[in-house]
Amino acid sequence: MPASPVAPQSVSAAAIELQGLVKDFAIGLRGVKLRAVDHLTLRIEPGQVFGLLGPNGSGKSTTIKLLLGLLAPTAGRGTIFGVPSERADARRTVGYLPEAPYFYGHLTGFELVRFYARLSGLGGRALDEGARAAIDRVEMTGAADRLVRNYSKGMLQRIGLAQAIVHQPQLLILDEPTAGVDPAGAAMIARLVLELKAEGKTVLITSHLLAQMEEVCDGVAILDRGRLIYQGRMADLPGRGNRQAMVLDALPPGELEELRAWLAARGRALHSVETPRAQLERVYLERVGKQEQS
Amino acid sequence: MRALPFSAGQAVLIAGNTLREAVRQKIIGLFLGLALALVIGARWFRDFNFGAPELKFLADCGLGAMTFFGSALAITATAQLFFGEIENRTVLTLLARPVRRSEFVVGKYWGLLVLLGAFCALLTAVLATVLWWREGELMRDFPAAFATGRVVNYAGVAVAGFLGWLKLSVLAGFTLLVASFAQTQLFAVVSGFFILVIGHLQYLAQEAYGRSEAWLARLGGGGLGLLFPNFNLFALADAFVGADLPAWSQIARLSLYGFGYLGTTCALAIFSFRHREI
Repeated sequence: MPASPVAPQSVSAAAIELQGLVKDFAIGLRGVKLRAVDHLTLRIEPGQVFGLLGPNGSGKSTTIKLLLGLLAPTAGRGTIFGVPSERADARRTVGYLPEAPYFYGHLTGFELVRFYARLSGLGGRALDEGARAAIDRVEMTGAADRLVRNYSKGMLQRIGLAQAIVHQPQLLILDEPTAGVDPAGAAMIARLVLELKAEGKTVLITSHLLAQMEEVCDGVAILDRGRLIYQGRMADLPGRGNRQAMVLDALPPGELEELRAWLAARGRALHSVETPRAQLERVYLERVGKQEQS
Repeated sequence: MRALPFSAGQAVLIAGNTLREAVRQKIIGLFLGLALALVIGARWFRDFNFGAPELKFLADCGLGAMTFFGSALAITATAQLFFGEIENRTVLTLLARPVRRSEFVVGKYWGLLVLLGAFCALLTAVLATVLWWREGELMRDFPAAFATGRVVNYAGVAVAGFLGWLKLSVLAGFTLLVASFAQTQLFAVVSGFFILVIGHLQYLAQEAYGRSEAWLARLGGGGLGLLFPNFNLFALADAFVGADLPAWSQIARLSLYGFGYLGTTCALAIFSFRHREI
């Protein structure tokens, strides 16, 4: 991959900093105010994968639009690597994949990625090389010369990721990146997020799939009706009391009873005995992977 | 030194993409095809020329096709290419790049101006070819009628093409201005057609109000004339068969008038779009 064309304004600044962000929408003819984001204060450090969670209508996408200068805040401010987010140059270091993306159907996948790369300042040899590398990275090489209007939903999501990473941004914002994507696509996206993290990039990601967020995120914030109701690191999430789960080789009924008795003699209880099943997702990915290889 | 808050390079990129999108759309090819068919086929409609000289009829037919299909193209393409970005939400990924809203609006406008320019240039070239060819035939058949040489002023044809483009560009500018705040594409298209009609008929209102003794009516007439362009002025170079080209100073004044509207509508569209929530 070519070298990144842009660098953050200040490496010591937070990747994202929101201070008292408020957004009101006027609804109907009488202009009744609907508060979509309510005094949101948030700081995301560089190099983190950060999950923004919340039910539908909790203000996640509005927060992202405010951060990208697509909406003007009613109050408060946001910065990206120390640069006020309403400034166009704040977005030089940002890659963005919107929710349910739709791209120019008249372009091929390669033309599309190349177009966004040029808007982000890539030129010369780095332009074509960068576009090809980004397309390779999202495993869309075979479809790069097809018109985007003929892409499936999952392919749109992948090409959307390619345009988001083509200029090697320091901050990647992914709004529901796995919505409508098949398990193989979702696994590819999760892998890509972890690779970007390993490269030192910051990733802000929203999703309803909490299990996936657990896999990739370092920190999370939960929004509800525009308000921040929880923020913390994944490592700090509380465990379930003092219980532990173990996976053993299958025990014959007699030995299981002996184990139960042994534990009871020490004042411990065996709460449940279950036979672990292969995860459906793992089976799917193994089978689909074999099919593609053959 | 602070950087200029506008990048022509970004606007050019957006203009290029707008043009490419337009060229790959079937509807725009259809407008062009119909206009070309009318210009080329006019020779075979000359039985319906109501006694006007044949070359004048061919020229009127060609310029009429440019105005009619060009107006439809200017309105629909502007509304569709601008509004489509908002409806399809492609504007989100575009403005999430280091692209200012002013660059987006100007880029869209430049793309449309080039599209309309290509449309007018092609039709003008085809019209000039048709006229040259038919004039040659008539010169052979009726040498006495062409004793002083060719009667068509081909510089006038080029000027007519340029002024036709300017008029369509002004119309596109007004449609862009409406699209910058409209909530639906249909509203932008309908408004564009209203502006087209007003622009062609506003001189009637101006004349009527101008004759009035009431100062309010005169003010209204003057305001209307200032607010909407008078599209009839752009027909200046239509009389290029057997006639002299209008004075260059007159053409320059008219160009200034047209470019004034272009700049104003574009500036207002930027102002309106800057405050739009997308």
